[in-house]
Amino acid sequence: MKVIPVIQLDGVGIRRSDRNVPLIEDVHWTVMACDWWELTGAHGAGKSALLLALAGLVPTTGGTLTAFGEPVILGAPKPSGWIPRMGLVFEGGGRLLRDLRVAENIALPLGYHHNCSLPEAVDRVWPWLEALDLERLADAPAGRVGRVWAQRIALARALSLGPEILLLDNPTAGMDPAHSTWWQGFLVQLHKGHPLLQGRPMTLIETTDAPRAGMQPPPRQAHLENGRLLLLQPRTEPA
Amino acid sequence: MLQAGRDLQLLMETLGLRALSILDTTRRLAAFTLITMGVLATRAGTAHRVIHPLVRNQLVQAGILLLPIVALVGMALGFAIVGQTLSILTQVGQTSLIGSLFVTVIFRELAPLGAALVVLARVGTPTVVELGTSRALGEVEALEALGIDPVHYLVVPRVVGITLAVVLLTVYIQLFAALSGWVFCFAANLPVGAGDYLGRIAGALHWFDFPALVLKTLAFGACGSMIACYQGLSRPLRLEEVPGATTRTVAHSVVAFLLLDALFLVITLLLPG
Repeated sequence: MKVIPVIQLDGVGIRRSDRNVPLIEDVHWTVMACDWWELTGAHGAGKSALLLALAGLVPTTGGTLTAFGEPVILGAPKPSGWIPRMGLVFEGGGRLLRDLRVAENIALPLGYHHNCSLPEAVDRVWPWLEALDLERLADAPAGRVGRVWAQRIALARALSLGPEILLLDNPTAGMDPAHSTWWQGFLVQLHKGHPLLQGRPMTLIETTDAPRAGMQPPPRQAHLENGRLLLLQPRTEPA
Repeated sequence: MLQAGRDLQLLMETLGLRALSILDTTRRLAAFTLITMGVLATRAGTAHRVIHPLVRNQLVQAGILLLPIVALVGMALGFAIVGQTLSILTQVGQTSLIGSLFVTVIFRELAPLGAALVVLARVGTPTVVELGTSRALGEVEALEALGIDPVHYLVVPRVVGITLAVVLLTVYIQLFAALSGWVFCFAANLPVGAGDYLGRIAGALHWFDFPALVLKTLAFGACGSMIACYQGLSRPLRLEEVPGATTRTVAHSVVAFLLLDALFLVITLLLPG
């Protein structure tokens, strides 16, 4: 049986939004289920743009981009009952909805896609709040939560629908070691299979300024340089 | 002579560019309206347990919370127009005209316009700020990433809530204007009884006043809310651009209200009777 890649890019490019010149060109990249990729590159290399393009939020030029075998098209209408299979955690505070409380932010996707009221949805996502140590912030207005915790809330929100792929845009940028360690431990759990996802291993694609050290096995690396995506050989960590 | 020609050319170019800009804005606004109407029609039952509370919230914000100010507007209209005009009509023995005057000036014109302007000032402009800030902070992309249609979640509840609020507030203005008009007559000891006063207003109303009022207020509400949502969401805004979008909303909405008012006036004049 042929295994379909969860994400495949063939000759895809992305233009700069401000100057309409190429930012990234001719990307060939295949992401298989249960992969963990780290996407590195200098500031402004296009890491975030490529990640957002995978989520269908940034237009691509040329080539083909598919997710789960289906083409990813910016602004394409979604059929009724469609539920995203991809979660996305934005950089720098996760872009929470400021007029909702923390628990409501996490519950909103579930409430919207399963047509249940926000209080009901909050009850259903409560295990995620517990798993991410967010219970004490549940009733806080999302706009007043610090950036580090907002990032964690955005992670809970992205996980609330039980996605198969998680895209993370530099999730630990500017975090202290304690929070960075928590993130690393939690992402490892997700990758291996979190109990709240019935132990199903998750595919992770993460942009980062500095590759994580000391992980066994280490995540696969893709590096953006001069508008090209270089797929690096798996590195070996010292025992 | 040459300078005058250049000035004229410059003026024509400026006017031409302005006209093109107005046409472009109108085209974009029409497209935004069509998209919203499409979402409203195709997603009527989708996530209603999330969307309906948002509509109710808008009705509270644009309707119930504005009742005091709308009552004040209605009473001011009643005192200023009905009361004073009735006082003059009494002097010339033409109090029978009060019904026609109330229906023509307040029922058909000032009440819908007053309600729309109050809602624009108190809810329309904050809507632009809310949506513009949401857009500037990337919350719209966050909704898209979660598979939530931003038009369905952000625009539809506001358009429905504000539109219904304008319809209801118009009725409140009419009621308060009628009431305060009679209170003025009573206080000024004018020879018009309550029954006579209400009877003359009722007698001046035509059957088409009711559907026309509903259509007009729906049009005002939809137009104002759509312009506010369009200015807030239509293009990526930087935070410093939000105040400018708010100003544009007020200017465009007022022009739209006046054009709609003129349209309904023409329709009313063309109707028989």
